[in-house]
This record gives sequence, structure tokens and C-alpha cells, in this order.
Amino acid sequence: MVEAGTLEKGDARVVITDADKREIVVKSKLERLYGDAVRKTVEEMTQGINANILVEDMGALDWVIRARLEAAIRKFRGEEE
Amino acid sequence: MKLRRTRLYVPGNNPHLVENVGLYGADCLILDLEDSVPITQKFDARILVKYALQNVDFGNSEKWVRINSPDTPFWVADLNEVVPYVDVVNVPKVESYEDVEKISKIMEDIEEKHGVEKIKIVPIIETLKGLTNAREIAKHPRVVAMAWGGEDLTAELGIPKKKALILDHVRAEIVIAAKSQGKMALDTVYSNIRDEKGLFEYARRARYMGFDGVGVLHPNQVEIVHRAFKPEDKDIEDAKKIVEAAEKAMKEGKGVIALNGRMIDKPVLERARKILAFAEVD
Repeated sequence: MVEAGTLEKGDARVVITDADKREIVVKSKLERLYGDAVRKTVEEMTQGINANILVEDMGALDWVIRARLEAAIRKFRGEEE
Repeated sequence: MKLRRTRLYVPGNNPHLVENVGLYGADCLILDLEDSVPITQKFDARILVKYALQNVDFGNSEKWVRINSPDTPFWVADLNEVVPYVDVVNVPKVESYEDVEKISKIMEDIEEKHGVEKIKIVPIIETLKGLTNAREIAKHPRVVAMAWGGEDLTAELGIPKKKALILDHVRAEIVIAAKSQGKMALDTVYSNIRDEKGLFEYARRARYMGFDGVGVLHPNQVEIVHRAFKPEDKDIEDAKKIVEAAEKAMKEGKGVIALNGRMIDKPVLERARKILAFAEVD
């Protein structure tokens, strides 16, 4: 399991754990307004990754979610911290 | 002339603080990867800063990143993420010309790979060794300004920072080292963010010491420092007349600039231009 980001205001926390196929769970503080947009970003950035991907969005802007996803993905692929 | 009166530090691991940086009007914004980021968040922070540099509106502020110092295992990874998108790399604990050259070489490879122009460096002098070598460090072509910090220096000397009389000498040495190479000299931060009067006096003193700016920790400090660095009205008026006389002489093809029967020489003209820049007069 790897994770990136925090649960602070304006941030997002991404947790990736090993799995046989990709499964995405998005929990957004602003689900009604931005849930679909967050899900779209997660789907786009995690293509080809067989893992459980949990994104907890604390009202983060799109670039923040992308940054946290990239950090988590790179750790998942073995890049050292 | 590029002004660097204020450089505002923003923690590089806090997206909420980073997203509004362009609103504060600081001359320079420093996304910090060093002291404000815990070791466990260094990896996430440098990626967040890379995205911030590409997505956040910095307004008219120059984009800086303070990387981790060359004696840590983090600085190369920091450079790899930020160099393609930053204006200035701020390097803590620089101790020699060779330190700057080592960083410059790594930056050169990244710049070449990404096809970007040469990025500037502002070293921070924080140790006695760095201070001893400050005049050499200022000579490096990438160095556009020199900053300093007193914590390590006073710890090395074993004296409390607030009572360290030697810091005025350190300040003078930084100004001389930077200015003798035509670079800017930048004073350290005033850490009491509630003391507005104290900050104004501190910034005024920095200005008269020969510094071009000071570090700030809170957006509220920006306007106070800019006010402290604003020249007096009389100096602005005199400077305008000198620059106008110089422009008139140039138009008329005259080699000598005269104002009210007095000859204006080059250093006087340069000072007048600098006064107008600090007064934000075009």
C-alpha cells in the first residue's frame, strides 16, 4: 500500500493497494458538484494500473488531485521516497 | 529593473496556501521544499510544487523554489521536478563557488533535456564557511542575488541570535559580496508577523544597509516592506529630473548630461534610475 497527500482543506489523499484489476473509489467533500470531474481525472491518470485506488477529496483543485495521484502512482511503481 | 523587495515563503506541501499566492503582490514567491516540509512529505511536496508552478496564477511575481540544501539526499530530485518550470532556484546552506557549480551542472542537464533557458540561482549564506566564500559565490554567472540566514551562523558561534551583534557585520559582508559583483543583496526575514512597526523599521534599515529586499513570512508583510523600500518624494522628483535630462541629452546626441548647470555623471544617473524603479515609476 502506498499513499500521497493529506486530509487537510484543499488537499486530497490518494491510497493505492495491490489488486488484480483496477477499482476506483472516490470520496469527495463536494461530491454533488465535483464528484464526476474528480472521477474522470482519476480514471484518466490511472489507466493500466491494476490496483484499488482510493481518492479522498477535501475540496482540492484538479491540479492538486493530479499531483497527489502522480505521487502515489510513482510510489506504487517503486520510486523511492 | 526587476524588483525583489519581497520574497514570500509558502510551504510547498500545502495546496490551500499555494493556490492563492498570486494575490499577495510579492515581488517573488518562494514555494518551499526545505524547512517547512517534513522529511516524510518531501516526495509528495516536490511533485505538488511541480504542478503548482504550471497551474497556479503567480500574477506578476517571480516564481522561486527553495530546494533542500546540497548536503541532503533531496536536492537533485527537487531540481529534476522543478527546474523546467521555475524562474529562480533558491539554494540553502551554500558554502562555496563549487557548491553553486555542482548545482548548476545538474540544472544544465535538466534544462537541455526540457529545452528551457538557463534558470537563475539565489544562494543562501548560512554558515561561517559560506560567509568566508561569499565574494567568490557571488561571481557565479547564474547567481542574480545573494541571501543569508542567521540560525546556523549564530549556532556555530554559540551566541543567541537575538543578541548577536556580529549579524550587522554579516549583513554588511553579504551586501559587499553581492554588490561588488553587480548582484542583488537580500536580507533575511523579520519573524514577528504581528509587529508591523518593527517590520517597517527593519525593512528601512535593510534598505539603508544596501539590501534590495527582505524575506517575508506572511502576506500582510508585503505592503509594509514595499512602503519601507519606497524612496522619499523629494528623491523621486530629483531622480525624474535627472533621468529626463539624460534622455534629452541622448536625443540631442550630447555626450554630457547637465541639469541646472551641474554635470550628471554615470553613478548619479544609475542611482536615479534605481530610485525610480523602487518608486515603481516607469
